[in-house]
Amino acid sequence: MEKKIDELKEKARWVRCQVLEMISNAKKGHIGGAFSSTDVLVALYYGGILKYKPKNPKWSNRDYFIISKGHSGVALYAILADLGYFSTEELEKFCDGGILGGHPDRNIPGIEADTGSLGHGLGIAAGIALAAKMDKKQIKSIVLLGDGECYEGSVWESAQFAAHHKLNNLIAIVDRNMQGVTDFTEDANKLEPLDEKWKAFGWNVKKIDGHSFKEILRVFTELEKDKSDKPCVIIAKTVKGKGVDFMECKLAWHHSVPKNEKLTNARNQLNDNREVQ
Amino acid sequence: MSKEPIDMRDAFFDKLYDIAKNDRDVIFLTADMGAFSLVRFKKDLEKQYINVGVAEQNMVSVAAGLALSGKKVYIYSIVPFVTQRCYEQIKIDLSLMNIPVTIIGSGPGFSYNSDGPTHHASQDIANIRTLPNMTILSPSDSEMAKGFASLSYKHNGPTYIRLDKGKYPSLYKKKDYSQGFGFIKKGQNLTIITTGIIIHKVLHVCEELKKNSIEANIIDIYRLKPLNKKVLLKILKDSKNIVTVEESSIVGGLGSIISELLADNDLQIPLKRIGSPDEYCYLYSNRDCIHTKYGLDATGITENILGWIK
Repeated sequence: MEKKIDELKEKARWVRCQVLEMISNAKKGHIGGAFSSTDVLVALYYGGILKYKPKNPKWSNRDYFIISKGHSGVALYAILADLGYFSTEELEKFCDGGILGGHPDRNIPGIEADTGSLGHGLGIAAGIALAAKMDKKQIKSIVLLGDGECYEGSVWESAQFAAHHKLNNLIAIVDRNMQGVTDFTEDANKLEPLDEKWKAFGWNVKKIDGHSFKEILRVFTELEKDKSDKPCVIIAKTVKGKGVDFMECKLAWHHSVPKNEKLTNARNQLNDNREVQ
Repeated sequence: MSKEPIDMRDAFFDKLYDIAKNDRDVIFLTADMGAFSLVRFKKDLEKQYINVGVAEQNMVSVAAGLALSGKKVYIYSIVPFVTQRCYEQIKIDLSLMNIPVTIIGSGPGFSYNSDGPTHHASQDIANIRTLPNMTILSPSDSEMAKGFASLSYKHNGPTYIRLDKGKYPSLYKKKDYSQGFGFIKKGQNLTIITTGIIIHKVLHVCEELKKNSIEANIIDIYRLKPLNKKVLLKILKDSKNIVTVEESSIVGGLGSIISELLADNDLQIPLKRIGSPDEYCYLYSNRDCIHTKYGLDATGITENILGWIK
């Protein structure tokens, strides 16, 4: 277990390095939310949670993963390239003429839905979970939501629907980094008590540290054994900009791009000792 | 042709029932909207019928998720709710992803007459036609509505059907609707282009025009998108005058479609657009009264054309 967790930590470090380079090359991208969700994404793809086949992205028995907070797609791109869904050379062309744009689309191997506008992914994932129930397929439908995304009314329309239809094959993960674009969520428009809201909508609620691989893996192991007929939401407490101290919990780093000394500093903190070009 | 027509909704839903009975992957979602002919669908095919409640945004997204998993999905509500309330979901989840979900909009135009401007459907053509990959079907009779149930089932992309209320006699002998428009009447002085059930008023207009020695073509555009431009242009290039008649807003609807077609192809033919004006309608009365208010009754349309053509 310890060895596995060390491997996941190393993979997450590598993903953050890729994200940093992609965003600094492109001079655009949402670094804060990508870093807050990196550990969850790494756990899903490398921690044995999702079933998938990179050489056969449409494999009929795959689990579905929808990245509803599409602006964090940059971290997912690094993972999908690493797994062989497409060439790692595409990462160098992020937002610059390749297949990878600021928000994911279905032309990218491994991407299940076009996202970027918030409040769509939970309903889509619920539809996928419902279809799996109809077809008696033993697959999971997992969706990553931003906490700011939970302001969208459509999220709650879908939450209600999923609970009514007992979609216990649906798992929502909320990247609870406490920040929107220009404000902290609790200053702008309180989301708390977020767990009580999901509970009231008929969901099982799990709260974890979204940067602890131990906790992420444990919660999914628990869910495997869970016989409840409710959908489950995992509220993953995270830090926006996680991994680079001057970005952590700073509003400026929703979509700022590090340059010069800041870029070197960020690389150093991620143990990536490349020179600034 | 001789058969007594049935309600347009019943014609559509009865056919959809037959299709769904033979294909368990056909799923029907409604935002708490019913119809007489949906009762047996709900009863007999309960696993394929889901009332999602009045939550149209979720309905579209769930439909997309089902379609991404191989289902053929139909979603249903009143036109403004199922086209405008969830417009961005239609844009991203259906049009952008180009997946087989059919939107059934009940009550185009002033079908929900006395329910007021919240329920009037004046902007749906303009709204939906700007979205790539969409097919827009606008049936003019009950038989055609039935045909569109089959057409949408076979189509592998997003479709929007403007389904009216009422019984409308069949205008077509052949039940092949692949051309996208039909020639209902031939004349040499004027071409009237229309869509939806208002064509049944336009037929009366033609009789009135005939009394004034004007013989009119009538073209019924039942597929507004994609428009069969090639064949339409062949017909229109020889027209002396063109009039468009629609119940929708004059902004962005059929008249706009035809004016764009003419402009883009350098056809300098006089064009008169008749439709509802760019305003909200607060006349709480029946559909005919609203038509009269806006000059969309047979007399109003005739006078408008005669005044313009002279």
